[in-house]
Amino acid sequence: MPDHDPPLRLAVVGHTNTGKTSLLRTLTRNPRFGHVDDSPGTTRHVEGARLLVDGLPAVELYDTPGMEDGIALLDYLDQLAAPGMRVDGPERIRRFLDSPESRRRFEQEARVLHKLLECDAGLYVVDVRDPVLGKHKDELAILASCGHPLLPVLNFTHSPDQRLASWREALGRLGLHAIVEFDTIAPALDGEAQLYDKLALLLDKHAAALVALKNDVALQRERRHADALRLIAELLVDAAAFRASSLPEHDALETAALALRRAIRNREAACVAALLKRYNFRSQDFPAHTLPLEGERWGMDLFHPQALKDVGIHVGKGMAAGAMAGATLDAFTAGLSLGAATLLGAAAGGLWQGADKLGKRILGRLKGYQELSVDDAVLRLLALRQLGLARALEERGHAAQKPIELDVQAESPASPERENWRSGKLPDELLEARSRPEWSTLAEDYRAGPRRSEVVLSLARKLGTFRTGDITR
Amino acid sequence: MEVRRARSEGRDFEQRVLIRARYLAQREKLDQLIQQWLQGSRLALTALCLVAVLAGAGAALGALGDGSRPVNLLLALVALLGLNSLSFLFWLLSFAVGTPSGGTWLGESWLWLTRKLARGPDAALLPRALMELLNRGKALRWLLGGVSHALWSIALGSLLLTMLGILSARRYSFNWETTLLSPDAFVAITTTLGWLPAQLGFAMPSAAIIRASDGLQQLPESAQALWSSWLIACVVVYGLLPRLACLIFSLGVTKARLGAISLDPGLPGYAELRDRLSPVSENAGIDAPQAPAFQAHIRQGQYAYPPSDQPLLVGIELPPDRPWPPPGLPVTVADLGVVESRSQRRKLLDDLQARPAQRMLMACDAQQTPDRGVVALLADLAGMAADSHVALLGLAAPDTVHGTRAAIWQDKLLAAGFSTEQIHTDLAPALDWLAGVPAGDDAARNAHAGS
Repeated sequence: MPDHDPPLRLAVVGHTNTGKTSLLRTLTRNPRFGHVDDSPGTTRHVEGARLLVDGLPAVELYDTPGMEDGIALLDYLDQLAAPGMRVDGPERIRRFLDSPESRRRFEQEARVLHKLLECDAGLYVVDVRDPVLGKHKDELAILASCGHPLLPVLNFTHSPDQRLASWREALGRLGLHAIVEFDTIAPALDGEAQLYDKLALLLDKHAAALVALKNDVALQRERRHADALRLIAELLVDAAAFRASSLPEHDALETAALALRRAIRNREAACVAALLKRYNFRSQDFPAHTLPLEGERWGMDLFHPQALKDVGIHVGKGMAAGAMAGATLDAFTAGLSLGAATLLGAAAGGLWQGADKLGKRILGRLKGYQELSVDDAVLRLLALRQLGLARALEERGHAAQKPIELDVQAESPASPERENWRSGKLPDELLEARSRPEWSTLAEDYRAGPRRSEVVLSLARKLGTFRTGDITR
Repeated sequence: MEVRRARSEGRDFEQRVLIRARYLAQREKLDQLIQQWLQGSRLALTALCLVAVLAGAGAALGALGDGSRPVNLLLALVALLGLNSLSFLFWLLSFAVGTPSGGTWLGESWLWLTRKLARGPDAALLPRALMELLNRGKALRWLLGGVSHALWSIALGSLLLTMLGILSARRYSFNWETTLLSPDAFVAITTTLGWLPAQLGFAMPSAAIIRASDGLQQLPESAQALWSSWLIACVVVYGLLPRLACLIFSLGVTKARLGAISLDPGLPGYAELRDRLSPVSENAGIDAPQAPAFQAHIRQGQYAYPPSDQPLLVGIELPPDRPWPPPGLPVTVADLGVVESRSQRRKLLDDLQARPAQRMLMACDAQQTPDRGVVALLADLAGMAADSHVALLGLAAPDTVHGTRAAIWQDKLLAAGFSTEQIHTDLAPALDWLAGVPAGDDAARNAHAGS
């Protein structure tokens, strides 16, 4: 690519244990980058990552070791400067890099300064829970003498014991007025946009690339959101359409209900895995779902009445408990009334397969088989839980270490859309899916027509209105 | 593996998905299956074409007979075109009803036959995937319709040729028979059916000839020729031409729809791949392997001056919001203040150089991270006192984070040469030690605190 500009190079610098590697993880959306621990000197080498736009590197980020010995280093730099000679900052740093101590006591600092000299700018990561101390000012003075712009990135701003104001004041006194707040654990939705905007102000030569990167980040987020909604819509259609047939005896019905529950649980787990993958999180970020086939919980088992109550879904009398929990006996009426058009079409076209399938069901009905399908309340719970998960993933930084906790509890602030999922009428798309058992990928005779994808897309659009006013860009 | 190759070869996400799919298909030998299936489908189509040819010829022979008996015109027409028209009608109806594959059982039977021909493991995967893809692209109905129309066209073509052949080679006489209808009705039917062919230039029998063809009168040879032309025209105009027109139309639509099929990157299976195939970032490697970290050690110095007896207390990099000096400080203890800046550090070191201490307590904030700089400072200071302890402050409310940080402080201090007795996790016992109170002597401490 000869006409392609070289990527912007940024060194992520800062005091030790302030979350430099975390910042890289969040910006690269890669939870496997580097090594993160609450201890000093976790990163002891420079590690790079490229942010890609359309497959081409737009920005190169370098994770550096923490500055740990700024005061002593500044002393040493003063020693190196021969009296009576005026040398500028970068030259002083170069002399330091040639000196023996740069390979001993200040080996880590030397790596940082070496990288910063090569880069276009530095992101100075601050843990705002730390007090502003002389060592921070000294290390900032050293970093500034590399002659490249520094953008302070304030991390852990959501922490209750933050010292945001004193940091802002101190940085301002040092002449650093362009500051960005970016909590690597739970970044604001527009956090990255703010970061790139501020960088573009400092580096007007690279402003175009940064704007492109910012737009790409927004585009990717929208894409992820749309994909997530589609995954959830697929899950709901699969669950709504699924039917298990059984002889109308008590034992057989119980076995069938058990099989139905297992199938739906596995399907939900698959959806969770797909969402985690789509948002590039590891499965251990959401350990709750590696759960049980029988009983206990995924946080709370899908078919446990308490799980429904927890998210505020009204459980009516129709909702059976015990062995038949979450399953509804289907009287076949819906299947037949909507099947009539298919029957007509099948007969008209001589389409034996369609007729055959419908025939089998009618025959089964005549033989006395009964069909089980998933209860409405379970569909509601599936929708609410998966939407809650998608939202949590959207707001989660890739540096976060704690497992995800869902916020779909009944007492959480209710939006009208969420209320609609709790108690309103189920969307027409799901009602239609109910009458199309062949639409469920869980079914043995799965057969999808174009209508299924239309229904899935339209359901995904409806799910999209669940979340309102979250993205304000 | 396939992902890496796809990433290096494809430009955008859709392309990479396709390239990956191709490599996976090669690995799983799906491409061979596709070949097999294509072969099977060709074979099935050939077989169906042959059947169509035979059926067409058979229909013609059956409808016209061997010439020994006069041919009943209307019955012959129904025999030639009846089934064709019925299935054609169903095909048109299927648009109104909207069945998925468009009500073409000839097309369906082609698929069925192919499935029977191309057997093997995973053989069911391919047609299923094909159906799904065509269905998604809304091309299935038109493809199957095209196959059906093609087969009917072949059958009708063969029927027509057979008719031409036997009409040329044999003598047939045509008539109409009726018990219920009047001759006028027959004239009306025949002329109505003949109107469209007449527009296209086919010679049609006149009303007089129609009336005369009741099988009771002798007809001239030209009239028989006219009737055969009527029959052929009806087959061409009402059978072959509509089928050919629909065939061309179906093929056209199929081609357009197939051309328009593109990857839907939002489909669940593909959406999951996006981060692997089109990652938003990639790793760029490290500069050099990490070196062992520098470790400061306590070096007990030789004092130029005798150490003073007064115990010293110094705060190291304590946050400004922590009260200093600590309340209850014994009067005997000299407070050296909080040291955090470079000049303060230098002054403290110079002072201690000039007046080493017998006993010194260094108070640190355990909520901060112990970095190399502060550990080195503690080690330097410890080297300037005969006996020095470290107190870790801020552990009063132990939660998880501060718990681990206390452990890190311990580790770092031990590595620098402090012993566990020299490290206090609370200020009060540390001050006791500093004031020379034996551990556990509460009364003495209270006395100090009170004074």
